[in-house]
Amino acid sequence: MTQPWRLAAGGTGIDRARPIRFDYDATRYEGYAGDTLASALLANGVHLVARSFKYHRPRGIVSAGAEEPSALVQLAQGAYTEPNTRATTVELYDGLVATSQNCWPSVRFDVGAVTDALSPLLPAGFYYKTFKWPATPRWWLRYEHFIRRAAGMGRAAHAPDPDRYEHQYAHCDVLVIGGGVAGLASARRAADAGARVIVCQQSARFGGAGVDAGAPIGERSADSWVNDALAALAACADVTLLPRTTAFGYYDDNLVGALERVTDHLHDPPPALPRQRMWLIRAKAVVLASGAIERAIAYGNNDLPGTLLAGAAATYTRRHGVRVGTRVVMFTNNDSAYASALALHEAGVEVAAIVDARSEAALTGAGAARARAAGLDIRAASLIVRAHGRLRVSRVDVAPRNGGKAVPLDCDVVAVSGGYSPTVHLFSQARGTLAYDAGSACFLPAKSPMAIVPAGAVNGYREPARAIADAEAAADAALARAGVAAARGSTPFPAPHHDDERMRVEPLWSVPAPRGAKCFVDLQNDVTVRDIALAGREGYQAVEHLKRYTTLGMGTDQGKTSNIIGLALMGEQLGVPIPQVGTTTFRPPYTPVTLGALPGPAHGAHVEPTRRTAMHAWHAEQGARFVNAGLWKRPHSYPRTGESEDDAAAREARNVRENVGLVDVSTLGKIELSGRDVAEFLNRVYINRFDNLQVGRCRYGVMLREDGIVRDDGTTSRLDATHYLMTTTTANAAAIMQTIERLLQIDWPELDVYATSVTEQWAAAALSGPKSRQVLAALVDIDIGNEAFPFLGVARCSLHTPAGRVPARLFRMSYSGELAFEIHVPADRGRDMWEATLDAGKASGIMAYGTEAMNTLRVEKGHVVIGAEIDGRTTASDLGMAKLVNANKWCIGKPLLSRAALNAPDRWQLVGLRARNGERIPRGAKIVADPGRALPNPMLGHVTSWCDSPHVGASIALALVSAGRERHGETLWAVSPLADAKVEVMLGAPVFVDPDGARLRG
Amino acid sequence: MRRYSSTPTERGFVADPTDAQRSADDRRTMECDDRGIAVTLAEVALPLAWNLRGNASDASFAAEARRSLGVPLPAEPLTSERGGQGDTLLWLGPRSWLFVGASVSMRDDFDTARMAINAARGALFDLSASYVAWAISGVSAPRVLNRLCPLDLHDKSFLPGRCAQSLLGHVNALVHRPRESPTFIVMVARSLAADAWHALCTASASDGYRVEVSRPFDSVAR
Repeated sequence: MTQPWRLAAGGTGIDRARPIRFDYDATRYEGYAGDTLASALLANGVHLVARSFKYHRPRGIVSAGAEEPSALVQLAQGAYTEPNTRATTVELYDGLVATSQNCWPSVRFDVGAVTDALSPLLPAGFYYKTFKWPATPRWWLRYEHFIRRAAGMGRAAHAPDPDRYEHQYAHCDVLVIGGGVAGLASARRAADAGARVIVCQQSARFGGAGVDAGAPIGERSADSWVNDALAALAACADVTLLPRTTAFGYYDDNLVGALERVTDHLHDPPPALPRQRMWLIRAKAVVLASGAIERAIAYGNNDLPGTLLAGAAATYTRRHGVRVGTRVVMFTNNDSAYASALALHEAGVEVAAIVDARSEAALTGAGAARARAAGLDIRAASLIVRAHGRLRVSRVDVAPRNGGKAVPLDCDVVAVSGGYSPTVHLFSQARGTLAYDAGSACFLPAKSPMAIVPAGAVNGYREPARAIADAEAAADAALARAGVAAARGSTPFPAPHHDDERMRVEPLWSVPAPRGAKCFVDLQNDVTVRDIALAGREGYQAVEHLKRYTTLGMGTDQGKTSNIIGLALMGEQLGVPIPQVGTTTFRPPYTPVTLGALPGPAHGAHVEPTRRTAMHAWHAEQGARFVNAGLWKRPHSYPRTGESEDDAAAREARNVRENVGLVDVSTLGKIELSGRDVAEFLNRVYINRFDNLQVGRCRYGVMLREDGIVRDDGTTSRLDATHYLMTTTTANAAAIMQTIERLLQIDWPELDVYATSVTEQWAAAALSGPKSRQVLAALVDIDIGNEAFPFLGVARCSLHTPAGRVPARLFRMSYSGELAFEIHVPADRGRDMWEATLDAGKASGIMAYGTEAMNTLRVEKGHVVIGAEIDGRTTASDLGMAKLVNANKWCIGKPLLSRAALNAPDRWQLVGLRARNGERIPRGAKIVADPGRALPNPMLGHVTSWCDSPHVGASIALALVSAGRERHGETLWAVSPLADAKVEVMLGAPVFVDPDGARLRG
Repeated sequence: MRRYSSTPTERGFVADPTDAQRSADDRRTMECDDRGIAVTLAEVALPLAWNLRGNASDASFAAEARRSLGVPLPAEPLTSERGGQGDTLLWLGPRSWLFVGASVSMRDDFDTARMAINAARGALFDLSASYVAWAISGVSAPRVLNRLCPLDLHDKSFLPGRCAQSLLGHVNALVHRPRESPTFIVMVARSLAADAWHALCTASASDGYRVEVSRPFDSVAR
């Protein structure tokens, strides 16, 4: 298909030699390289592209940039689909597929448009007013489905995002936000001074509005000025030019978030490149050269397709060589529309009239003179009061401003300019204040506590020479903030003399609303002039209330073209000046950011890092099932072919009791302590004594929180006179290390103690079972007989492995209750140790066992574990370790141990439970005296850990039960309403195996 | 045509350096592109790594540290000192340094050094098996590293000899620039090495990268 609305010549931004084919609403169209989806659609005469949010009114393309409120389309298909993309910023590529959204069955005939007819029933805030009744939430559930469908935008993809996103940190002296004429002038100035500079430009092309307006810069064309600037910047090693990059957020200390669309404009991107790259730029100073956004004027049916901003009409004409219509009427309150009108006129588009709200006497600008000279029909002191048409504007009613009779004027495009609003969003995010400038009828940046300097059109200077001079001054100010000396010399353009250099705008926000036609303020959210008046009457007058009540300025465009109109109208209604109405807070992101870009590469398996022990690969090779323990992966069990995980764990546990097993305990926290005062330090952090721990011995210890509750447990070994090794639970390893550092650095700096985490240094395995000694004896070079190496002994030794001699630390401690040894070797030898031990144990029937068997063994032995018995509520006494608390020394938590509540006789105490009648104790069951009693049934305690004990041959559990130690021998009930189970349990001591400890001491 | 390497097996990064050497041969490598813009990743074998602790303003401790390790304490935070053999003492934080020895022969001296430093009210801990290190080099090295690490790695900012503890993606990392050329040594905890390697390869992909066999520490540091 040809492009009937493409001008025969012109289009500075398109390449007519490179045609591009794309599909919109299942129709194949053609555009050119350099087109946006919007310009390509206009080149094909497609103005109607969307249905509006609330009333489903037909909408067209309004702007030519990121501010677009209306032309939102669904881009791409399947997992790649992206809703609510602005057709005005989508770069055209071969094979692009887009569809209109929020309409059914089609954008031309949309059933949802019935809401427009019902609009008297749907005033501002109808949502809040209507759905207050009936009060039962069930009714809301019925409405919700239909409302969400009717009032909506595009649809998100339901498949996982197939694209890759990248993060990129960067640092610079001066970050220039905006690659227009002002931004490039600032960047050049900063680069000349030798500064590190980054320039973010939202679109693919640098130059911005200055190039699109086509006005010369000094003696030269804007294009050649921009090309020179780009060439000069590209030659600087420390300048980074980032096209297609939107600075979306300004954070503390000049940290700016920016989104680079790396391959969005490519149909077939190189697989190595990410789709988008999120930049986190830490700048010493920022020049904000983000330009200004044109705004409309509200009149009747000002949302009909064919209604554009005047500057956008000129951009489509000059940059894209598009004929926006056959007959254009301009409507303005300022001089800028004359330049736009002339751009259209020169391109051969008929400009039927320029309707200017200002009086004839005010039309003294050069633009008006040129327009007159060109023979254009200027209608001063006039207003467009209403537009007519169904799917496209066909006629407007023009009336004198003083209230005379309206005359119709045929047209198919209305190009409107209500003035320009500087793009102050990031300045405001930088906690900058804004000041209202009455002359140009806009908010200008005032002061920010951060190093951000506005430049060019953001300061109201749209004329290129003025903008350049302002931008160079801004660059010098930014360099000063960055601590870089400014370069000498400057361009020949005189610095602007502030207020008088800004474009004058005679404020006109809305025409008197005609009957029967809606005057839209916010096109994206269908907020009309009447809605704002209603909100004011109902008391929602504060600007933040106005926003929430009417939805003005919400949505993907965040009111870029509409906010100021809304708050000006509120000011008129309240009779207060605009500065007093204020603005809503600008928050990041400036334009929408794809969710995938925020996590970047951290998704799927990489949402959080995974820690693997030195023996991980072996576990995986043996088909271990892994469980997460914090960030660690630990083997749960090693099921054999056809074996369930539970059966595997039972087999592994039984084998430890009967033969010998090996378990990977590398994940335990390990902290080495060194210095003369370690014994004193340990005495202060543990409830039990450590000052009498001999070299070559280890001891179990319990730490309390400051409130006396048990925090953690583990062993500490004395390796030599000044050198100790503490172990913590896997869960608390980092937290205990932090506490130790705090204690040593802040609380007790006088102690000669240094601590370092050595969790990463040592691979550790526990060898448990009656045959463990005979297995280990074959490996080590020391005597590990009971005399030479008794229970709780510690020794250094060497292991003989097929891979050579491995230095090791040996600990005779037991978690399983069996004769057991812990073997620690440097992590790079972990696998050698592991495999050598398994080899040595073959004849003894050794098996690796996982955390599930380990849990079974420790429940049988009655060892407490963090998270179950050590649950943040239990004291040492509750856990049966009252005797461990040394009476003759202070320790953390001890002063509060004497509180009455921690010593009450009915406290829940650790007991063992054994199921009667061969039943299985339900998980997390509560303990009651009588399961048949009516609810609420008094709870005597709860099950903390449980297992099917191969050793006992029954279901057993550990439980915390009120006055549990007094109840040994009693029968109570473990009930679980969730599992609908009740099991009779016998209470006893929390140890089911070897109560005298003969096995582990043997 | 650029080819991109896949993530190698994790075997090399959780076992000993010789194992890493072997598995490096398994890795598919890729060539640099025409422009020569690429980044080279190579595992660095760390013969020994000791954590030195003590009070730098205590002259007897500083003297003993220098005597035992053969390298003076770095005078400034975030800097390092290098001895003749490539032995390097990296500042980690107040009263904490990492000594990376260039040869395994010093391993046997650990107990002696520890006792001597203990006597000077300092401490020495052996962390030789705790880290996995990579050298990231080539003109793209700072940019690639900055996809994971928020430090300012510019030539004028991260000067030769600099070191800092920071992040590599989600993982804590020690970043060190041993000399003039754009080569960075990045050290991460051994248990997190497989993840960190994956992140490093992913971050390098858009520039094109090459994996070299592992290199001894002194060849990178000197």
